[in-house]
Amino acid sequence: MDTWNIIPQLLISGITFGAIYALVGLGFVTIARASQIINFAQGEFVMLGGMVTFFLLKTIPLPYPLAALSAILIVVLIGFLLHLLVIYPLRKATLPILLMATLGASLFLSSSSALLFGTLPKALPPFSGSGPFEIGKVSVSPQSLWVLVATLLVLLSLYLLSHRTLLGKAMEASSTDALGADLSGISRHLMIFLAFGVSAGIGSIAGIFITPIFYVSYHSGTLIGLKGFIAAVLGGWGKHGGAILGGFVLGVTESLSVAFIPSGYKDAIAFIILLLILYLRPKGILGSPFIDSRRW
Amino acid sequence: MVDQVHKEFRKRDLLYSGALWLLSLIIPDPQLHYRREYQLRRRDLFYLLTILLLPLIWNDAHFHHLMVLAGIHGILALGLTLFLGYAGQISLGHAAFFGIGSYTTAILTTRYDISSFLAFWASGLTASFFAYLIGRPILKLKGYFLALATLGFGEIFLVLVRESPHLTGGVIGIFDIPFFSIAGFIFDTYLRQYYLIWGVLIGLVLFSKNLIRSKMGRAFLAVAASEDGASAVGIDVNGIKLGVFVMGAAFAGLAGSLFASVMSTANPDIFSLNLSVLIVMMVILGGMGNLYGPIAGAVFLTWLIDGLSRYQEYSLPIYGVILILLLIFFPDGIGTRLRVRLIYLISYWGRKRRREKVEL
Repeated sequence: MDTWNIIPQLLISGITFGAIYALVGLGFVTIARASQIINFAQGEFVMLGGMVTFFLLKTIPLPYPLAALSAILIVVLIGFLLHLLVIYPLRKATLPILLMATLGASLFLSSSSALLFGTLPKALPPFSGSGPFEIGKVSVSPQSLWVLVATLLVLLSLYLLSHRTLLGKAMEASSTDALGADLSGISRHLMIFLAFGVSAGIGSIAGIFITPIFYVSYHSGTLIGLKGFIAAVLGGWGKHGGAILGGFVLGVTESLSVAFIPSGYKDAIAFIILLLILYLRPKGILGSPFIDSRRW
Repeated sequence: MVDQVHKEFRKRDLLYSGALWLLSLIIPDPQLHYRREYQLRRRDLFYLLTILLLPLIWNDAHFHHLMVLAGIHGILALGLTLFLGYAGQISLGHAAFFGIGSYTTAILTTRYDISSFLAFWASGLTASFFAYLIGRPILKLKGYFLALATLGFGEIFLVLVRESPHLTGGVIGIFDIPFFSIAGFIFDTYLRQYYLIWGVLIGLVLFSKNLIRSKMGRAFLAVAASEDGASAVGIDVNGIKLGVFVMGAAFAGLAGSLFASVMSTANPDIFSLNLSVLIVMMVILGGMGNLYGPIAGAVFLTWLIDGLSRYQEYSLPIYGVILILLLIFFPDGIGTRLRVRLIYLISYWGRKRRREKVEL
C-alpha cells in the first residue's frame, strides 16, 4: 500500500532525472552527428558547468546569470581545446585509441577540477523560490520545471541548427559521407571542432541546471556521462528525439525501480537496460540513422 | 647501385650497430607470428635471465613489490592482448573478470578452507564461465558499442559486489586471505611472490605463443583482419571471438586469484573502470599483435604510476596528460614506433648516399 502511494512522487523525480539524462545525451548526439566519435569526456563538461558556476558565484562574487553565462563560455572553450589538443592530433587514429584518449581527457578534467575547486561536493542555489509547491499529494520543486524548460529549449535550438541552417547541414554531411563532404568543400575538421563546442555548451547548461537539485563533485561526471550515453543509445543513436525519449524512459525506469528493489541496485538498472537494448534492438526505440552503416 | 652502397665498409656503421644490437635484444619484435615457427632464441634467453636475476641484483623490497604488481598487470594485459591485439575487439570490462577471480579465491580460501592452489584453478574456471555467459549475447556488437557493453558489465559487477555484503563483504571487502602455497611451501615474502607471479606469467606466455600458432590462433588473426573474409573461408567468426574472450577472461581470473592471495585482500575499489582503462592502455602502448609488448607496457605503466604517486594530488592530472601524449605520439605502441624510427634513422644515411648519386 505504502509503495503505491510514493509512485507519483517517484514519477516526478524520474521525469526530472530523465530531462537531465536527455540533456547529456543530446551532447553525445551532437558530436556523433558531426563525426561518429563518442566523447567519453561529455560527463566532465556537465560536472565542469556546475563547478565553474559555483566557483564564479562564490569565490569571485559575480551575479548569478553572469556567472552562469561565463561558465558556459569557459566550458565551450574547454570543449574547443579538447578537440584541438586531443581529437585533432588523433584524426587518423583507430577506434580503441580515440576511445582511450577521450577517457584520458576525462580523467584529466575530473582530477584537475578536484585540484582547482576542491574535493567537497557543491550545490548551487536554486534559480527561483526554494520551497517546493504541491500538486495534489505530489510536491514539485521549481528547479525541476527549469530543467524541463532547458531541455525543451536545447532540443528546439538543436533542431533549428541541424534542420534550418547551412552549418547544421554541413555538420551532418561531414558525418554521413566524409569524402562527399570534402568534395563539396566542407571542412570536416572545422565541423567536428564546432560540434565539440556545441556539445560542451549543452553539457555545461545541463550542469548549471542540475547542480541546484543535487550535489556535484569532481567524480560525478563519469556516471552522468555514461547514463546520458545510455539514454542516447536507448532512444535511437544519432537522433535528437531519440536522446530525449531515451532520457525520459531511463529516468522514469530508474526512479520507479527504487520502489521495488533495494536502492543500492539503482545504478545497475541503467547498465542492464544498456545490455538489453544492445542485445535486442541495437538501433534503439526510434531507430538510428547510423546503426546500419558499416562503421558499427 | 644499391648493392654497392651496402657492400662498402663504412666506419660510422660501427657507431650505432652495437647500440642497435643491444636495443634489438630489448625491444619486442612486432608481428613475428607469421615469420617462423617458435624456437627459443637469444632474445628469449635474455628476457628469461633478466627476469630470474633482476630481483637478486636489485634486492629491494619496494622493487620486488612493484614487480609483483607489474607481473599481475602483465598477466591481465596478456589476456587482453589476445582479444584486443590479435582478435581486434575492444573490451573495457576486463577488470570485472579480474574481480571475479579475486573474489572466487577469497571466498573459497577464507570460508571453505580450500587450498589456494585449487582455488587458483577454480578462479580461472569461474571467470571463464562468466565470460561465456556474458560473451554469448555481447560479442555480436562491434567497435564502440562492444566497448560500452563490456563497460556496462563491469559496472553491474561492481554494484552486485557492493550490494551483497554477506557474500563479498560489501564495500569493505574480504581480508586475511591466506598466502599462496603449494605442498606446504608458503609464498610469504615479496621475493617468493615475485618468482611465483613471473613463473605463472612465463607459463602463460608460452601457452599464448603456442595458441597463436595453432589453428585457432590463425583463425583469430583472420577475424581481426576481416570478419567478412574470415567467414567466407569457413571460420566460425562468433565462435572464435567467444573463444578468445573466454580465454582472456580465464587469464584475468588467474591474475585475480594471484592478486587476492598475494595482497591478502579483495575490495571493490580495485576492480573499477580505471583498472580496465589501465589494462587497455598497457596493450595499446605495448603494441597490438605482439606478446612481449603488453608485458613491457604493464611494467612501464606500473612504474609510471608508482613514480607519479610522489606528487600526490598532482599525480592524476599528470597521468592523464602523459596517457594522451603517449597515445598521440605512439599510437601503435612504444616498441613498434621506436623500432620504426631506428630503422628509418639507420637507412637515412644510405638513402642520402643514393640520392646524391642519382643527382650526380
